[in-house]
Amino acid sequence: MDFFSNLIIGLSVALEPTNLLYCFIGVFVGTLVGVLPGIGPVGTMAILLPVTFGLSPTSGIIMLAGIYYGAMYGGSTTSILINLPGEAASVVTTLDGYQMALQGRAGPALGIAAFGSLIAGTLGVIGLQAIAPPLVSVALRFGPPEYFSLMILGLIILTYLAQKSMPKALMMAAVGVLLGTIGLDAINGMPRFTFDIPEFLDGVGLVPLAMGLFGISEVLLNLEKTISREIYDTSLKSLLPTLKDWTQSIWAILRGTVVGFCIGALPGPGTSVSSFVSYALEKRVSKHPEKFGHGAIEGVAGPESANNSATAGAMVPLLTMGIPGSLAAAMLLGALMIHGITPGPMLVKQHPDLFWGVIASMYIGNIMLLIINLPLIAIWVRLLRVPYAIFFPMILLLCLIGSYTLNNSTVDVSLMLFFGVVGYLMRKFEYEAAPLVLAFVLTPIMENALRQSLILSSGSFSIFLLRPISSGCLILAGFLLLTSVFPIARKKKARDGKRAG
Amino acid sequence: MKADRASSMVWMAVGLLSIYGSFQLGLGTLGEPGSGFLSFLAGSFICLMALIVFIQSFLQGKGFQVKISTLWKGIRWYRSALVGLLLLVYILVLEWIGFLLTTFLIVLAMVKGVERLSWGKALLISISASAVCYLVFDKLLKAALPRGLLGF
Repeated sequence: MDFFSNLIIGLSVALEPTNLLYCFIGVFVGTLVGVLPGIGPVGTMAILLPVTFGLSPTSGIIMLAGIYYGAMYGGSTTSILINLPGEAASVVTTLDGYQMALQGRAGPALGIAAFGSLIAGTLGVIGLQAIAPPLVSVALRFGPPEYFSLMILGLIILTYLAQKSMPKALMMAAVGVLLGTIGLDAINGMPRFTFDIPEFLDGVGLVPLAMGLFGISEVLLNLEKTISREIYDTSLKSLLPTLKDWTQSIWAILRGTVVGFCIGALPGPGTSVSSFVSYALEKRVSKHPEKFGHGAIEGVAGPESANNSATAGAMVPLLTMGIPGSLAAAMLLGALMIHGITPGPMLVKQHPDLFWGVIASMYIGNIMLLIINLPLIAIWVRLLRVPYAIFFPMILLLCLIGSYTLNNSTVDVSLMLFFGVVGYLMRKFEYEAAPLVLAFVLTPIMENALRQSLILSSGSFSIFLLRPISSGCLILAGFLLLTSVFPIARKKKARDGKRAG
Repeated sequence: MKADRASSMVWMAVGLLSIYGSFQLGLGTLGEPGSGFLSFLAGSFICLMALIVFIQSFLQGKGFQVKISTLWKGIRWYRSALVGLLLLVYILVLEWIGFLLTTFLIVLAMVKGVERLSWGKALLISISASAVCYLVFDKLLKAALPRGLLGF
């Protein structure tokens, strides 16, 4: 009964004309950045974050969430048609999607990706709606030690999944914490690392940081490369998958939905991991694994469903506990905090309209995405022909204007450029920005939780180990840290052995 | 110099500076942590991880190490350097010259200087980009963009 009454509350908010408009803008922009390689959903959310300042928090979050899940739809288009993933979560779709396009089956590939995304997105939101209330009641029993340990676990999982080096990822998380301490100390009002710059008293802004690390640095790196886009010239006769396509894909879609939702709900992994796990699962359960990589429709349906339901899954820890499960969720958390809303278990009680409105908007957004993506596919393909020479100045301009209008000061613009150059160098030297930003966003909450815990225990760190949930999180974090050390040793041994051989 | 070795030294310096700054702020006690407590922990952790990366750079075989010079080899690095420089100039002159003119000049410099488009295309892109941004942000969204010497 609660399920439906909450849905009605949410729909009454999401169906307001303003919220419908911002939901549409969000999913439209999301599809656009998903289609266009060169800027991802996180960079776009950072660019559009200042736009939300003039909106109600609900409309702002609805729009930003729309960008997040909209990018998952758009990402499949470039993966299938030009073998170039628009964003990380669609990398795996290139394997079979592009092969299907080469075999003249681009239409069904795009169709199953869109329908799979719709089904998974909708089921994911149903899962979110069902799981959120019981989780909120659990989270209400959490104290500062539990929150601190849970955030540590989230950061460790994110660094554990670092593609390059775990020590580097951990270092970046610590740099994020350090940046998060800049500004006035919330407890005693003492300025920290402000270098007598008044703008630093409020701390480093999330917008210049994220715009620099994900927007500016991305453009600088792309300018160095020669981007050639060979668009597969196919006549998209029918985007509707045949009955045979459906029978081959439906279980892949449902499995992808479950896998994506569960992985998305974990703090750390995010959408790209979910699509890879789904692909591996489909290949394993398939009666014809040899077809994978040669145009198997399940290889498109599973991962595309998984990355969509993962976006709904990522909302679970964010909305119920105030802990972002991914970088994009961290941007949503930052947006909520900018609007003066503290995410966490009290969110549903204090702001039910926002909580249920955002969830309900995701149902509507998923339907909008199907309408935007399938009939308008030709427009998206045409957009890919616009040269990067036109796109990059526009991306830079949006970053410049967005950061300037934060405080009408060039300090934020300078900060953005500084982080842009730092982000560029970090990518060159293989340091990942994701742990840095996630840690930066979590630091104010984490610091409060740490200090409150130590005050509660009169300075004893044992409080983190004596409480079962907190100790469970820390033990798991420690276990992950240990297992990340041993594979390095094994890999090194294997490499040395190989070279000796 | 090896890329990891050099970068770890930079991060080590960042960590040490933050430890120094944290001591200045005051670490407090465990029962009542001070303003510099968390930054001290973060700085110490940065130093520890930087040390690990530094040591790893000696333990890894030659084939697994990248030299700094190779990071910019065979790519058009001058394009990103030029854009970075243009952005810096933009920040320096924005409030002095004003949004519209600065934006027009900077976009023109990017599409002409970096992308080597024809004068016609470059002018078209820079005029339309600056005009659209001005109309949308200044007139429509009422963002207070800097007017500068010329008053627009």
